[in-house]
Amino acid sequence: MSRIVVLGAGISGHVAATHLRRKLSKEHTVTVVSPNSNYQWVPSNIWVGIGRMEPKDIIFPLEPLYKKKGIEFKQAKVVTFHPEGDTEIDKPFVKAEYVAGEAKGTTEKVTYDYLINATGPKLAFEMTEGLKPATNKAYSVCTYSHATEAWHALDQLIQQMKQGKKAKILIGTGHAKSTCQGAAFEYILNVEQELNRHGVRDMAELTWIANEPQLGDFGMDGMLLSYGSNIMKSSELVEMVFEDRGIKWIIGAGVNKIEDGIAHYETLDGEFHTESYDFAMLIPAFSGHGFKAYDKNDQDITEKLFKGFMIVDADYTPRPYEEWSVQDWPETYQNPSYANIFAPGIAFAPPHAISKPRVSKNGTPISPAPPRTGMPSGITAKLVADNIIDTIKKKKPSLHHKGSMGNMGAACIASSGYGITKGSGISITTFPIVPDFNKYPDTYGRKLGKTFGEIGLAGHWLKLALHHAFLYKAKMRPFWWLIPE
Amino acid sequence: MTRRISKRKRFVMMNPIIQFFKFIYLSLKILVVVAGGHGGTREVK
Ligand SMILES: Cc1cc2nc3c(=O)[nH]c(=O)nc-3n(C[C@H](O)[C@H](O)[C@H](O)COP(=O)(O)OP(=O)(O)OC[C@H]3O[C@@H](n4cnc5c(N)ncnc54)[C@H](O)[C@@H]3O)c2cc1C
Repeated sequence: MSRIVVLGAGISGHVAATHLRRKLSKEHTVTVVSPNSNYQWVPSNIWVGIGRMEPKDIIFPLEPLYKKKGIEFKQAKVVTFHPEGDTEIDKPFVKAEYVAGEAKGTTEKVTYDYLINATGPKLAFEMTEGLKPATNKAYSVCTYSHATEAWHALDQLIQQMKQGKKAKILIGTGHAKSTCQGAAFEYILNVEQELNRHGVRDMAELTWIANEPQLGDFGMDGMLLSYGSNIMKSSELVEMVFEDRGIKWIIGAGVNKIEDGIAHYETLDGEFHTESYDFAMLIPAFSGHGFKAYDKNDQDITEKLFKGFMIVDADYTPRPYEEWSVQDWPETYQNPSYANIFAPGIAFAPPHAISKPRVSKNGTPISPAPPRTGMPSGITAKLVADNIIDTIKKKKPSLHHKGSMGNMGAACIASSGYGITKGSGISITTFPIVPDFNKYPDTYGRKLGKTFGEIGLAGHWLKLALHHAFLYKAKMRPFWWLIPE
Repeated sequence: MTRRISKRKRFVMMNPIIQFFKFIYLSLKILVVVAGGHGGTREVK
């Protein structure tokens, strides 16, 4: 009998837990430890942030589902890792602190045979002075509660604009090393459409601010894509859309301080500027959770498990950008020191960025951290689950399932407006996610036919269809496993 | 110079009938990217 413990119930943790439960017999236990009682379909937070969906449309409680399916659930947050056990317990465990119910505040040593760390990122607002959701007129859409706050503030501003107020809206990244530009990109386009819908578009100045060296970098060094019969850079595609929507942009900008309605930032050319706003949505830096790890004798072994995020089978040797290789990226997400620990999704430490690192004239690093979107998060979680399942069933270590982001495609449907007849979406696919310059030397490391962009109403329908399909899958409704990650 | 979205293109982008077929085309195309699978990048020695 094996005990598999999954930390986190986001996209990757939930995918791993559900597949494990489906494929393993009941003699094996699957336990999920996560502080949030709800599952949330994060990509639809954008629509909560413009008031077109409510949190209830994108979340559901985990405990009843897990109970029904035979997955143990502990509403707790992991605090420390003990991969060798300790002097009392001769089994690896994590220490988890309950965050709700009668046990709130108490800790438990949760033992495991296999551990999947799917705790995603810490939303590190504190890395930017003054950046805190719903403070200083700056908001976030990273969680459904943040997105709800953002909508309330935006709604108030729209009402004021209806009374004649001119407003400045700033949307983008709130730190020089932020990632997840795609989410901010979706949000600015959705906000623009909503301002139109409310008849106040001409009252608002809408500005994009990002740490990207070029528009459309998305933390992936941009891409060359086919767009209809044209071949276009993603920077040209985004510029075309921004021009069309009357959105201004500031790029190569590292936001370093937020005051009430003022964003301070440094640009790559070393200049310091400020931008005032009435409403801002800024994506914070993502960091590791700062977990500590201890060996059997309580000695600190954090550096064996973490490098900010969790260490996996990547090549972390520091190298200049020119020497980066697609082979540096992990394939099995297994920790090299402890073979029974894995970290899929955002929880693993990437070997390096994907975008070329850049520093300002003052030496400040200003460039996007590597994104890991929903699709790779799901795929990596499933392959980790499959390797654990094989190992248990075959009774010998198996790492047969592999999925490097250098040999994996991603589909990203960026919503650019909500509405069955008025909505639109920018559908972009990329293959591979991490460019492989050896395989595709003439097309910026990506396969052209599989890297394409499309804009239009169909993109909105697709995004909406994915919303329903993935929630159906997450709820483990009949034949849920037929829907790919 | 910035490319512009032409009037014709905008019509195509927002026409529900054309976009219905686009929806089917995109769904299949995305499925191909997904179904294309994934794997490692390192050679097995
Ligand atoms: C606004 C927004 C829009 C997005 N849109 C898209 C999109 O359109 N398409 C796309 O592909 N991707 C999108 N993404 C990215 C996508 O949401 C992420 O790639 C995905 O959520 C990552 O999944 P994850 O499970 O690794 O991490 P998360 O989803 O962050 O899950 C982490 C889990 O760990 C739990 N946790 C945290 N700390 C602890 C702890 N100490 N102990 C135990 N559990 C813990 C959390 O509660 C959570 O359940 C978007 C992201 C955002 C923020």
